[in-house]
Amino acid sequence: MSLILPKRTLSRRHLLQLSGLAGLGLLLDGCGTSLFSDQVGQATEPLNQAIESLLLSQKPVSEYPVSAIEPDKLLINTFETTPQIDPAKFQLAIAGEVAHPLQLSMADLQKLAFTSMVIQHVCVEGWAAIVQWGGVRLQDIATLVQPKSSARYVYFKSADGYYESWDLASALHPQTLMAYQKNGQPLSVDNGAPLRLASPVKLGYKQSKWVTEITFTSQLTSKKGYWEDFGYEWYGGI
Amino acid sequence: MASAIPAKKKALPIPSQAILAKTFHWVNIISLLFMMSSGLQIYNANPVFGGRGGWHFPNLLLLGGWLGGGRDWHFAVMWIYSLNLLAYGLFVFISRRWERRFASSSDIKAIRVSENVKRKSYAWHRLVYTLIIPILILAIASGLAMYKPVQLHWLASLFGDWQTLRTVHFITVPTVLLFTFVHSLFGLKVGGTRLIKSMFV
Repeated sequence: MSLILPKRTLSRRHLLQLSGLAGLGLLLDGCGTSLFSDQVGQATEPLNQAIESLLLSQKPVSEYPVSAIEPDKLLINTFETTPQIDPAKFQLAIAGEVAHPLQLSMADLQKLAFTSMVIQHVCVEGWAAIVQWGGVRLQDIATLVQPKSSARYVYFKSADGYYESWDLASALHPQTLMAYQKNGQPLSVDNGAPLRLASPVKLGYKQSKWVTEITFTSQLTSKKGYWEDFGYEWYGGI
Repeated sequence: MASAIPAKKKALPIPSQAILAKTFHWVNIISLLFMMSSGLQIYNANPVFGGRGGWHFPNLLLLGGWLGGGRDWHFAVMWIYSLNLLAYGLFVFISRRWERRFASSSDIKAIRVSENVKRKSYAWHRLVYTLIIPILILAIASGLAMYKPVQLHWLASLFGDWQTLRTVHFITVPTVLLFTFVHSLFGLKVGGTRLIKSMFV
């Protein structure tokens, strides 16, 4: 293929056009730096969040067969330490804007209806794993404590200092579990034993491990979640 | 102003482009640069090929500074990129531009049997830029499937498993770069810089 490239001379107009491109280049040279990403995120997060909550349905999402489980793909992400909790002494506190605050031991939790699901766990980093989780529906725990009508959010506090907040609709989704079982085995400490959040409708960073406190609330504070406070999107829906 | 143009050049028709075709080109190129650089930033958090131990793209090509910043840019500019493509699609459809300006069976025939070199290049050019459209749409479809694999499960399941989905989404980047490059070369070949310039100025 012979390409005939026309001779080029640089006119004033061309020079101005090129300087425009150079300006764009300068802008892109900021790459590797955050370059207004906070402002860009803040400007578009409300729109994206509105679409995400619109997409959320309370219908159970379709699950995978047990044969599809990918035991090696679930990577361990921990922000600081791995707390060792004695399951015999463990207490889950459920409080906030509820009619009947409660403390539940592991034995109490295991007496509640058991739900198992095989879903895809999606990490914000880009990897995903098909996992089986077993535990108690958060919905069932909510039925016990009776959140007041003012409650719109749910806070989760973990033994390692991690904290998260969710919208009430996602927390009460029929497949949002307080899980104590993974891939048919008791949950391991690395995966959040004795009790962790597991849900198919949120990204992995929303699914706190080692949860010790659940608080129903009408308002979000300035502390929305460990990673959110660094700049991750709060809703984190998938 | 017309008198300032030398008589010789007057003989050649100056290609004129619809204003909507020009805006589409500008917005598409700039938004794609932002989508690709922020996309590679996200890629680096867990490379599609090789996972955490895989090869990472150098900082120079990245936008956002970290995974959170890359996602901020990616999920902001996605609106500009996809609404621009949608607006262009409506324009092409309503103006019936697709009948005249995109590859048709006569171009395929020209590529296969024409002896006329100019007609052949012209046909190749039309085919190349027509093929860019499905690549741009595939980038959106695979991106949406990864963004909302649960709520858009029907879309995600079209791509098979997660790794295939990630690979398809990533491959749209080198593919669109390659097609844009070939589109520019053919543009130069069939119409020179005058044609290229007509699409941007």
